[in-house]
Amino acid sequence: MEMFAGLLVSALLLGCTYTLIAVGFSLFFGVMDVVVFCCGDIAIFGAFSIMGAYVVLMSAGLFNTLPFIVCVALLLLIGALFCATLGLVAYRFSIKPFSHSSELMPLLSTIALGTVIKEVLGLMFMPAVNASASAFGGEAALKVVSGRNPQGFPELLFPNGGVNLRYVTIICVTVLLLLLLFIFLNKTKMGLSMQAVSQNKELSMMTGINVSRTIVVTFIIGGVMLAIGGFLVGSYQKIMSFDNGAMYGAKGFSAAVVGGLRNTWGAVIGGMLLAFVEVFVAGYVANGAAYAGVVAFVVVVIFIIFKPEGIIGEKTVEKV
Amino acid sequence: MARKRKSLLLFLVLLLVLVMIVSACDQNATKGKVVKIGFLGPITGGDAAEGAAARNAFQLAIDQANASGKYPYTIKVISVDDQSTENVAVSGAQQIVSDPLVVAASGFWNSGPAAASIPVFKEAEIPLLIWGAIRESLTSPDNMPWITRSAPTDKQENIPLASMVLDEMGYKDWFVVSDVGSYGSGNFEAFSGELAARGITPIGSEQVPEGATDLSAVVQKIKSSGAKAVYCGSTVGIGSQLKRQLFDAGVTDVLFCGISGMKTEDFLKIGNTAAEGALVVSPGVILDEAEAGRKFIADYQAEGFSEPIGAYTPYAYEAALILLNALSACGNNPTAETMVNAILNSKTTGIMGTTTFNEIGQTTNVAAYLNVIEDGAWIPYQNSAYASGARSFGGK
Repeated sequence: MEMFAGLLVSALLLGCTYTLIAVGFSLFFGVMDVVVFCCGDIAIFGAFSIMGAYVVLMSAGLFNTLPFIVCVALLLLIGALFCATLGLVAYRFSIKPFSHSSELMPLLSTIALGTVIKEVLGLMFMPAVNASASAFGGEAALKVVSGRNPQGFPELLFPNGGVNLRYVTIICVTVLLLLLLFIFLNKTKMGLSMQAVSQNKELSMMTGINVSRTIVVTFIIGGVMLAIGGFLVGSYQKIMSFDNGAMYGAKGFSAAVVGGLRNTWGAVIGGMLLAFVEVFVAGYVANGAAYAGVVAFVVVVIFIIFKPEGIIGEKTVEKV
Repeated sequence: MARKRKSLLLFLVLLLVLVMIVSACDQNATKGKVVKIGFLGPITGGDAAEGAAARNAFQLAIDQANASGKYPYTIKVISVDDQSTENVAVSGAQQIVSDPLVVAASGFWNSGPAAASIPVFKEAEIPLLIWGAIRESLTSPDNMPWITRSAPTDKQENIPLASMVLDEMGYKDWFVVSDVGSYGSGNFEAFSGELAARGITPIGSEQVPEGATDLSAVVQKIKSSGAKAVYCGSTVGIGSQLKRQLFDAGVTDVLFCGISGMKTEDFLKIGNTAAEGALVVSPGVILDEAEAGRKFIADYQAEGFSEPIGAYTPYAYEAALILLNALSACGNNPTAETMVNAILNSKTTGIMGTTTFNEIGQTTNVAAYLNVIEDGAWIPYQNSAYASGARSFGGK
């Protein structure tokens, strides 16, 4: 029973990390009909932005002068700004130029952008952070060795509160974010515009919705969601690598497909399903850890074959 | 028409003369002005801390040799980043062997890239001295005489660890973890073999995918198994995650031990409390116990390298010393052909003791010692509070 409870918590936590990245996929796909394959890399970029900003803020001595919670909020804001900007860059340079081309073009260009983000992290993280830290009189102890080395994510969620409080916070923050997203999508004018654009772009345009602005806002909101996703991934895993984005991107995309690509709640269900399959196969099957990822992707393949619209996605019928 | 033919002939003669001049220049270059040695290792990627430090140490030895004036030519290093990846390593090996000035190479921290690249060196008949990859089969009669290794094998590395934790400390209830990669599998088999040789069946074992980040299910299995000791046969990525996730799950009353791939400064990034008590075997000798080792540490630190000395950094330096020794034995015009036998028959006394090679090209200089993390730093086990009994590993 103790093992079951432990696996349940692990699955929930892993599901939270997959869910937030899957939601990013769903938002972008909803308004643009494009799979933005660099979502995982944007999330990891967010985590690295927060790590870098942490080193700089520590060097500047802000953690000694400002309350801890204010510093954490500031770090989250910095991460969100970086990811929102990156989301806009993805839209402006990787998606918009191909809006009248084949669907494959933005797919390939976002894969390429993901590689660029990954390599920029590997190459530039160390010089950028160390130079910024030195500018604020950074100490040698905070020196970042190499962007390509594993990085220790700072303890920002109740550092003295123990691991259980950290886990509860990760789950609560995820739920809170999803609730806020739900309220935004259903109760605000912009959210309703996003849903309208998602359902029918041409008709939205005819009813006076500013589609371009809606798309830009979607990419900003998606970027912020991914930044918080990266923050939670870092807080959960504690060790981050610049190339983690591809794995989280693949899992997030799979989760979105299983749940229903166009549906935000589908992303939640898909993320949780994948995480539960992975964790429970690894936990209850002998030597299952080696095969957990395989089984999870078999589940994805089964969904693609038998229920391609996803668990709560709507079946689209094209009339001739 | 005759005039046209005469011009063409003149052009061809001039072209021939030009080719001969270029060829002569090239031959002149190979005759001793510059001799090149290849170096391969993971300078970027997850294993970068170990690979970049090894590259630094290798280059340091070559720079010292060039500065000494003992060699009638300049030795240059072609440094290739294999990114711990087979295909990148193979293309790097091809880059090295295609350079006509290369007389030997030293490479690899990961066994997979080493195994994939060995055929390239064998085909080109360029000797390769392995400085860090430990899979046992890399040195074999089939790979003679081109492939030699100055580092111990996975089996040789696991023996002193097993001797300590099984025979001296007496742990019986084991959970064995590794990744499914070449390095992990080799260590998994080696340690499982040590357990079997003592009649111990592990309580549980798991092999996780390479690069896995979420090991929570494995941690729950360990927790519910009642294991008193955990062995991890992976490198720092999985090793540090496993130790940290065990700590988070409250599994602290167990011995956590493993192999040299974990002994990097990156392991400490999981935090001092979570990392405390990790016991890891390191190949070689404790450097600051001998004059040569202390000099190496001082020289390395004087260069101001950003990567600290890792478990295999001394082996990369030692590999360079072995190649330099072989170069000396080849006189003024070393070639790949003369270097093959010069390496095999070399006897080099460096910072790790005296290295010679056996009939399959494996070093006869096998040494290892244990390290433990105490208060956020790796220290030799023999100098630790764990050895003195002031602290205990748990699981007892």
